[in-house]
Amino acid sequence: MDRLFILRNHRNSYFVGHALIRVWALLFSSGLVALAQSTAPPVNASAPFSIRATHLLGLENTKSNCNGTLSIRGDALQFQQGATPYAEVRITSIQAVFLGGESKQVGGLPMKLGKVAAPYGGGRIVSLFAHKEYDTLTLKYVDSDGGVHGAIFQLSKGQGELVRNELVDRGVPSGSDEDKLTKPSTAEVRYENK
Amino acid sequence: MKISRRFLSIIYIAAIMTIMVFPAWLPAQTAAVKSADASSGSAMQWSVQVDSVNPGDIELAYSFQVAIYENLLEELNKTKQFKEVFRDGDRKANEVPNLLVLKTTVEKYTPGDETRRAVTTVSGATKLRVRSQLLTREGKVVLERTVNGDVRFFGSNLRATYNLARNIAKEMKESPLSVSEQTSAIATGQL
Repeated sequence: MDRLFILRNHRNSYFVGHALIRVWALLFSSGLVALAQSTAPPVNASAPFSIRATHLLGLENTKSNCNGTLSIRGDALQFQQGATPYAEVRITSIQAVFLGGESKQVGGLPMKLGKVAAPYGGGRIVSLFAHKEYDTLTLKYVDSDGGVHGAIFQLSKGQGELVRNELVDRGVPSGSDEDKLTKPSTAEVRYENK
Repeated sequence: MKISRRFLSIIYIAAIMTIMVFPAWLPAQTAAVKSADASSGSAMQWSVQVDSVNPGDIELAYSFQVAIYENLLEELNKTKQFKEVFRDGDRKANEVPNLLVLKTTVEKYTPGDETRRAVTTVSGATKLRVRSQLLTREGKVVLERTVNGDVRFFGSNLRATYNLARNIAKEMKESPLSVSEQTSAIATGQL
């Protein structure tokens, strides 16, 4: 009996010791993570940045509504569609950057035709679900003659803010948020529901 | 026999219709070409500078303002009505002798929803109405129009800006510019 009692005691102390070690390890590692976060180096403003985007309109020598890569290299914002030469805007010439959002139907023309062809108004039901939220990034910049230009890019939801932040980090003034402007007023919604 | 008679009568009616319609078409076409030539001939000596869009009191998204401005530049270039089309702030425009300034002020904007358009067909239209003024350097109004640009069924909301710009350019092309010594006979109309 005694022997058994001693053994049990030994097991308990062994368990408690392990638990203490685990707690200490957890605290130590979380402390390390916190330390790493607090001492993380600031975002390097000169590091290249690249993201997939659709050019809606505005950039010179670039087709409207074309997909490509929007990147920030050095002091220039570049848009490249496939293997074609890229269009470039000097970041110092950008006067303002605006972020907006829009909901769009997906699938393009084939989907549109399919929805029209669907019997019993089935296309409408498809439309109800076949939409996606996008960010729109609008730039206002000037050329060497002082002429005002505008360019609009469409990005996946959430990515517009990344590009805007990158540009703001490089000294581009940020315009007001457009989201509030694109929403219909309550009066209009009420009117259209009638 | 019956079939051939019916066939002949159809051909006969078609021939009459062709004779009736074609002579009307041809003079109409020539007249249209002449008037276009005349209006473009008078305007060709002029260059135009497109000002940035003035949203007025309307809360219009900046992407819409930029889209109207850029589409206007493109559509005015396409019409070849003006000698040169300058951007807002372009210093080269200061050296041009005959310059008109195009000012666009937003009067009404109804934001739409592409999904609602696709689902309901009857609601969710994006509507834009602007006042376009063509002015001389001295500020005399040469042309003033109220123009609409909507997207009701297919297309994204920004397509309204393309339709609007196309309507403005079309309106400018069709309207004779009264730029003379007397000038500023203000024509007001609505599309």
